[in-house]
Amino acid sequence: MTDKNIRFLVVDDFSTMRRIVRNLLKELGFSNVEEAEDGQVALHKLKSTTFDFVVSDWNMPNMTGIELLKAVRADPTLKHLPFLMITAEAKKENIVEAAQAGASGYIVKPFTAATLDEKLGKIFQTLNK
Amino acid sequence: MSDFSGMEDLLQDFLTEASELLSDVDNKLVELEKRPDDKNLLNVIFRGFHTIKGGAGFLNVDALVNLCHRTENLFDKLRNGELKLTPELMDAILAATGVVRDMFGSLSQSRPPAPADAALLTQLDDALEGRLPSAAAPAPALAVAPAAGAAPVAASASHGNQPDWVMLHAAITGAPMPAAKPASAPVPAAPAAAPAPVVSAAPLPAAPVSVPAVTTPAAPAMGLKPAAPAPASKPQPAAQQLAAQETTIRIDTNRLDQVLNLSGEIGLTKNRLTTLRTDILNGKTDSTTLKALDEAIGQLDLLVSDLQNAVMKTRMQPIGRLFQKYPRLARDLARQLGKDVELVISGEETELDKTMLEDLNDPLVHLVRNAVDHGVETIEERIAAGKPPKSIVQLSATQVGDHILIEIVDDGKGMRADFLRRKAVEKGLIDLETANSLDDKQALQLVFMPGFSTKDQISSVSGRGVGMDVVKTNIQKLNGRIDIHSVVGEGTRFAISLPLTLAILPVLVVKVCDQPFGVPLAMVREIIPIRSEQVQEVSGRATIVVRDEILSVRSLARLLGWQETQTPQFGVLMQSGENSFILAIDSFIGRDDVVIKPLQNIRPRGVAGATLSGDGSVVLVLDMEDLLEDNQSDQSAIKTSQFLEMLSNKA
Repeated sequence: MTDKNIRFLVVDDFSTMRRIVRNLLKELGFSNVEEAEDGQVALHKLKSTTFDFVVSDWNMPNMTGIELLKAVRADPTLKHLPFLMITAEAKKENIVEAAQAGASGYIVKPFTAATLDEKLGKIFQTLNK
Repeated sequence: MSDFSGMEDLLQDFLTEASELLSDVDNKLVELEKRPDDKNLLNVIFRGFHTIKGGAGFLNVDALVNLCHRTENLFDKLRNGELKLTPELMDAILAATGVVRDMFGSLSQSRPPAPADAALLTQLDDALEGRLPSAAAPAPALAVAPAAGAAPVAASASHGNQPDWVMLHAAITGAPMPAAKPASAPVPAAPAAAPAPVVSAAPLPAAPVSVPAVTTPAAPAMGLKPAAPAPASKPQPAAQQLAAQETTIRIDTNRLDQVLNLSGEIGLTKNRLTTLRTDILNGKTDSTTLKALDEAIGQLDLLVSDLQNAVMKTRMQPIGRLFQKYPRLARDLARQLGKDVELVISGEETELDKTMLEDLNDPLVHLVRNAVDHGVETIEERIAAGKPPKSIVQLSATQVGDHILIEIVDDGKGMRADFLRRKAVEKGLIDLETANSLDDKQALQLVFMPGFSTKDQISSVSGRGVGMDVVKTNIQKLNGRIDIHSVVGEGTRFAISLPLTLAILPVLVVKVCDQPFGVPLAMVREIIPIRSEQVQEVSGRATIVVRDEILSVRSLARLLGWQETQTPQFGVLMQSGENSFILAIDSFIGRDDVVIKPLQNIRPRGVAGATLSGDGSVVLVLDMEDLLEDNQSDQSAIKTSQFLEMLSNKA
């Protein structure tokens, strides 16, 4: 069973979207959720507090999701953090780029709680190996 | 009835946030016309559409997703240099943002918007493929868009065929593959969050979606001059549709925390007072107890006024939220009229009470349209007058003391007083004699008279039912003032002065016939003692000259329909618009910040409401405009003879 208390950081510049993701996570039983409005803020939060999981949008001002992902993977204390990338496009080059940067998963907007659950499940599965 | 049941909250949030985003995009588009190659601008606009699309996807608004998706792709190509921005493309994009706004309009009424007009979608698709006339990039090799990136199916259709992430990830990174591979492709289940709204494909009859007629312009290459009036640009009433009052507000959490802190502290002080009350009721009235009581009340005093301020601050919103809609408005209108106008905005960060902000929209829209339509000249006229072809309209906001000053300044032809006088007489609004007695400054005020319109033809631009008289009434309803300054040949300046908030009104408490009245402090210029030797007669009316200004004396008692019980001792120099006069009163008590309570069931003439004074007595707060309106004629203007008689009685 997955620990429902794990701490999520949801990163998106659009507050409505953060709320959507937060609601979906809550529906799945995860209520320990923090928010950040761009990669820079997220990175700062990740460095100052402990998180167990990052769900980040791709397209953001200041610091994009992919830049955040690269920064996380480059940081020795953060590099093992599961990182789910959210994006609006299912373009192959994007997926390849995310995978190369070390994303743990990739989810295309709009998605439902069920889709999110499945993606999370796969990531947890890999983690527990 | 709603198709968004269970999601109203989310929808509301989305609309608030997305509308702001769209207004920003609109402004960026206007800027983009000037700097079509600015990568940063292209990026921001791309992200705007992208974000709106993302949110719309979750709300299952397919019509919005489809439209934003195309526009987003266009900007993707523009920023990659695969497409070049042309006036035709710009028109299509602007039309698309208009439709997006319309869709927000129907969403705000919880109605799924009708799909965008097929012609517009086709046009966007053509543009994407580089088929829009003169929209292709200059290098012919790039003109044919690579098909792969060009047409990803509408996002809503794309969930079914997502790649198997785990496999791909393993393939790329060489990570070990999970042994038991879940085979099924993710099938989108019905969203459990809320019942999926069904977006009907047929246009709803009631949906107020106006699709601007976007025709493919026949003109070959027009160059990038925004001055050319394009056949495709139509006025877009879209902005008005969002005028429906917002019922939610976004507040900086710091401000909210401050309210919370203060209410906590007030609670503590209340506890202190409760203890002290018990002590005092038990007969403990020594000096220490009384001092403690004094301190506690002093503290409460401070805290309550801090709380009032803090609560007021939660209602304050930057005026930029309003201003950001106007550059687009000015741009569209200018193009339609064949003028070259730039709206320069400043002071967007100035904050104003939210309700006032909403009520200010219509007057400001009117003034901006007015400046572009009537204020500035056509390009030809400007060149003939030796001015630069491009006109500048400035819209600014600043806080001046406890007031907000909003100015709309144009560098157009200015207003001619003699022309206004003639017009007013022609329209039968005033007689010739009155017209001739008006000085130039007063003549400018004529535009605020109901039924005054200087254009003989009602164009599609003006004549929207909101005249300058309505502008003035609206401003006055906000306890504000509007002034005009104009120099022929140089331009016109409209200056609106508003109080920071309507919640608390500073008043001057005056006394007449032993009854206290509150007069809005905003109108008070100064208080002078009235002495008989100062009173002069001008056409039978009592006047006093204050620093070379001849001011008529009006008795407050008579304005209220009473008889003076004593000779007025003081005059309050009042200013209402361009109109100044002296209000004769018996005495004054001082200034006070009051909260006006409307009177229920009765509405006495000239009374805005009532408030309680410090000693618990009721003070009526006067609505001077209302009071003066009914007393335009002589009855309140004191006849000199009477006045002098009264003054001599006093002696």
